[in-house]
Amino acid sequence: MYRKQVRRRRAVLALLVISSFALLTVTYGQTSGGFQRGVSTVFGPLQEVADRALKPARDLVNWVDDTFAARGENDRLRSEVQQLRRQVAAGQVALQRNAQLSKLVGLAPVIPSGYETVTGRVIARSPTIWYSSVTIDKGTGDGVRVDDPVINGDGLVGSVLSATGSTAQVRLITDPESAVTGKVVPSGVQGVIKPEIGNPEGLSLSFLDASKRIGRGQTVVTAGWRGQGLSSRYPPNIPVGRVTEASLAAQEASQRVQMRPFADMRSLELLQVLTGGSR
Amino acid sequence: MIVTPKIGARLVLVVFAGVLLQLSFFSQVELLHVSPDILPALVVSLGLLGGSMTGAVSGFSVGLLVDCLLVAPLGASSLVLLSVGYLAGLYRERFDITSSLTAPLLCMGLTLFAELAFGAIQLMLGVDAPLSILVVRDILVKSIYAFFLGWPIFILIRRILRPALITERSLRRRTPGPTVLGA
Repeated sequence: MYRKQVRRRRAVLALLVISSFALLTVTYGQTSGGFQRGVSTVFGPLQEVADRALKPARDLVNWVDDTFAARGENDRLRSEVQQLRRQVAAGQVALQRNAQLSKLVGLAPVIPSGYETVTGRVIARSPTIWYSSVTIDKGTGDGVRVDDPVINGDGLVGSVLSATGSTAQVRLITDPESAVTGKVVPSGVQGVIKPEIGNPEGLSLSFLDASKRIGRGQTVVTAGWRGQGLSSRYPPNIPVGRVTEASLAAQEASQRVQMRPFADMRSLELLQVLTGGSR
Repeated sequence: MIVTPKIGARLVLVVFAGVLLQLSFFSQVELLHVSPDILPALVVSLGLLGGSMTGAVSGFSVGLLVDCLLVAPLGASSLVLLSVGYLAGLYRERFDITSSLTAPLLCMGLTLFAELAFGAIQLMLGVDAPLSILVVRDILVKSIYAFFLGWPIFILIRRILRPALITERSLRRRTPGPTVLGA
């Protein structure tokens, strides 16, 4: 009797392990299957209800964390504000000049044309650092499609990985699978923005032209390339982040600089999906 | 643990509630820049209370559900969490749980194991991105959180599954009930 029980246990365990390996082999590198979409569809409304119900508790915990973090950041921000004030003044002059020049040459302002925005709330988030994704409460029923770019008030956040009728999975730019073609402004140097696993505040801009110099503090926007029937899923000129480390040695040796995303990937709440467009 | 249909339903509810709570709450809060992961602690608690098979099946189900909801490659989380559940259950079958610290310590140890194993699987599958040293901080802090969260999780699940627990039943039988005189 005992032996039979042990044998049955071992069989169940073996079955579970084999199933895990089989699932891993079949689904690795694939986009979402019907089964996963079905489960997401069923759980979407439940996740939304849980998200709304738990928001006050979540805000409280995050407030405690933010309070501790804010104390340390205060000094750094003071000096940054002074620097930014000078930049704003210079920027306003440049904007004024730009508007006048645009009028003169009849150019439209540089914004993604033909895109519409769908605003969604984050209702779930991946628990591991190995996948950086969030679920929002908007889906195909609201016009969201797979590969649509996703932004927030600060800049680029990611793109839609999969979508059900009422929810969509957003792959963040800090996900290991993510890669965005970026452009440093004003120099125009292009590279690929890749994440640094485990660090939500760290991105790297690699495959840069070693002959062109990039400086700390320069802004990186999406390049939005297009050619030979192919185009980037991201429209051009969406702010992505700022260069934080650009040593000459690193640029020459690895053709890479470090950057920090404008969007705070750890506290995403409202996101905008750019639907439509000319992709 | 005696798994009757009623207890089975409770187990399913515990798994669903745990996963929803993780994705909607714990993954979205941060303390010291790290989000707690209660899923290994949940599976450890189920394994400690129900044995190796309950632990393994619960771990597999939790992993599968998480991967489905996150549209991640299926199988990796299932494999890691089924190992966690099986190991916790095996501990319960081999040793007596005499100290109240056993559950939180196991939650901490097996969360550390789960995080390392998950990382190892991801690296074996091939990660096309540089690895930050902050990964180590994330894994260690998550394990410490598991120690503090594992204790209430274990107590809560023991309460939910109390009718099915053999030890609790025998204890209740042995405890003399109140007499007519109230003595």
